[in-house]
Amino acid sequence: MNKKIVSGLAIAAATTLALGVVVASPASAAKKTSVTLAFQGPLTGPDAQLGQDQFPGAEWAIALYNAKKPAVKINLIKADSQCDGTVAANIAPGVAANKAVIGVIGTSCSGEARNSFPAYKAAGLTMVAPSASAVSLSDPKAPDRGFPIFHRVVAHDGFQAPALVRYATKGVSSPKIYLVDDQTTYGAGLIKYALAPAKKIGVVGTDSVPRGTADWSSVASKVKASSANVVIYGGYTVEAAKFFKALRDGGYTGILAAGDGVNTSDFPDLAGKAAEGVRLTAADVPFDSLLTAAELASFQKITGVKVPGLYSATAYNAAQVFITCIEMGKLTRPAIQSCVNNTTFTGAGGSKIKFNRYGDIIGGADVGGYLVKNGKIIYDAIA
Amino acid sequence: MNFSVVTTQFWSLVLQGLALGLIYSLVALGYTMVYGVLRLINFANSEIFMLGTFAVLWVEIELLGHPVAAKPLGGFELVYTLVIALVGSMIACAVLAVIVELVAYRRLRARGASRLASLISAIGVSIFLMETMRMFTESRPRTAPRLLEKWSFGEIAGANFRIDTMLAIVAPIIIFVILDQFVNRSRLGKAIRAVSLSEENAKLMGININRVISLTFLIGGLTTGAAAFLYTTVYENTVFNVGFNMGIAAFTAAVLGGIGNIRGAFYGGLALGMMEQFASAVLGSQWKAVTVFVVLVLILLFKPNGLFGEAVQQTRT
Repeated sequence: MNKKIVSGLAIAAATTLALGVVVASPASAAKKTSVTLAFQGPLTGPDAQLGQDQFPGAEWAIALYNAKKPAVKINLIKADSQCDGTVAANIAPGVAANKAVIGVIGTSCSGEARNSFPAYKAAGLTMVAPSASAVSLSDPKAPDRGFPIFHRVVAHDGFQAPALVRYATKGVSSPKIYLVDDQTTYGAGLIKYALAPAKKIGVVGTDSVPRGTADWSSVASKVKASSANVVIYGGYTVEAAKFFKALRDGGYTGILAAGDGVNTSDFPDLAGKAAEGVRLTAADVPFDSLLTAAELASFQKITGVKVPGLYSATAYNAAQVFITCIEMGKLTRPAIQSCVNNTTFTGAGGSKIKFNRYGDIIGGADVGGYLVKNGKIIYDAIA
Repeated sequence: MNFSVVTTQFWSLVLQGLALGLIYSLVALGYTMVYGVLRLINFANSEIFMLGTFAVLWVEIELLGHPVAAKPLGGFELVYTLVIALVGSMIACAVLAVIVELVAYRRLRARGASRLASLISAIGVSIFLMETMRMFTESRPRTAPRLLEKWSFGEIAGANFRIDTMLAIVAPIIIFVILDQFVNRSRLGKAIRAVSLSEENAKLMGININRVISLTFLIGGLTTGAAAFLYTTVYENTVFNVGFNMGIAAFTAAVLGGIGNIRGAFYGGLALGMMEQFASAVLGSQWKAVTVFVVLVLILLFKPNGLFGEAVQQTRT
């Protein structure tokens, strides 16, 4: 490696460390009256529902904190990376360059997280993600891991995939599983981790269909020929809607199931009748089931959202992580980073959150099972 | 590899391949007609298709007031709704195609710009249309109401003769027969063939070249509009970039059959639809595109002008 770069890095690191120590001291902390957190996720684009559902969780947590008239107020800004890694790579440097930002609540999608890492690692900006679930993000062996800045308050797909298989085959006598993925990092990853548990039950076929495919009739024919009675799809809402419609129109009567990529409130609209009875999972339990009536009323009043969406609980928890550190007087990026790494936090419903070295929650998190009934996605049980 | 699916689902795959392939054929006509007279690829055709699908949605949802969750229609109301949606989409696409010709081709041609300039201006129009639609729809996909209940005529040898599949097979065949007769029999058809053979000579014979070119864009727009209607009726959804994949498929179909050749577009589309169905069923969907393009390259190696040759040969028949 180039010696100049190495020594440059060393100086930079030393300066950051020194500054961190100085700024974190109580004397200068007293000067700060406000800090900024950024929420990063899809707020527009095809997957906008994902981010739109999560944002209110963070918004509410911070509004509650600011309402207590603390010495240091928190501003929340939005960074829209559209669930798209390319967009994320473009906006992350801007967020990192904003000196006021001391932490990122995000991202929603795994591709966004991965492509934001270079900018945030260089800036020492800590991330706490509400729903980025690809296993590789926290895999010590993966070249694109987010260590040391990445954390997530959601169980990764290594937990979700087996739960999805369990939930999809629940109550089915002699299940014959057909697995289909969408060739994305998330979809292919989810099915990869679903394959092993599914094989123990019985897999009759697999397929891998690129996003943007309009005609799913040949896949439907294959599923029919395989006489499968459980179809599990790893991918996102739009494609799932086309696939499930083609299956139902082709006369398939078995179980349809998919992961959290399909668990968005627009899925029943897009899939129409074919959405009925579809089984979905998410590493999240509904936020309203964790709140008291008074808390729910306050949530509705502050955010203007009637029913908290998917992953608003984890977004709330992610915000809570930062709020706790800010309450402890950690007001700089390095101070926040060491605080997030070393503290045990309390999330919604009193759950305890502590991160391991690579940013995953110690002890994992529950995976919820959801059902589509009368055009609405409803929470069913722990999957 | 999964050959058992071929033995049990053969006729079902054939039927679905026909429906998909004929929709490709209709869009391929939009490429092939224009290529026949201008020797240029109309890259904006994929976006004309995309706007056609939105036109169908607009007619069904806004104009005729059937919300996305509407119950399927029956009897006269169904026929009337579908016909208006079909005609609306065809008119919208035809008008748009003529405008594209005026904006992206005619002025450049009149000023003697190079062929490459028109190619780029067509790509420019295509990007303009797609990005405008992206902003209008915020990149969100849209669903069409299920107005046509997908009932089946019955099943023969595993093939499900569903109404929407049958519609996507019968309608394009009728359109092709009419178009073929029009181009081969009518005066205007003769003019199109004349321009296709030699623009210079056609001009000397007193044929209004600009009118003929506008007419071919119009016809290409009409068939693309019909394809947009069938696509929306069968697949019930659309999105701002739906034209991209369709454009590539239709263009491939046109080249496969011999670009500039109307019958070539028909058989090219069919061949592509069949190949996609069987490749996806036997090898897996991840091999679909690979198979299609390997076959395309092999055919072009031995028949560089496609299966049915280029426009000139065809127009002589």
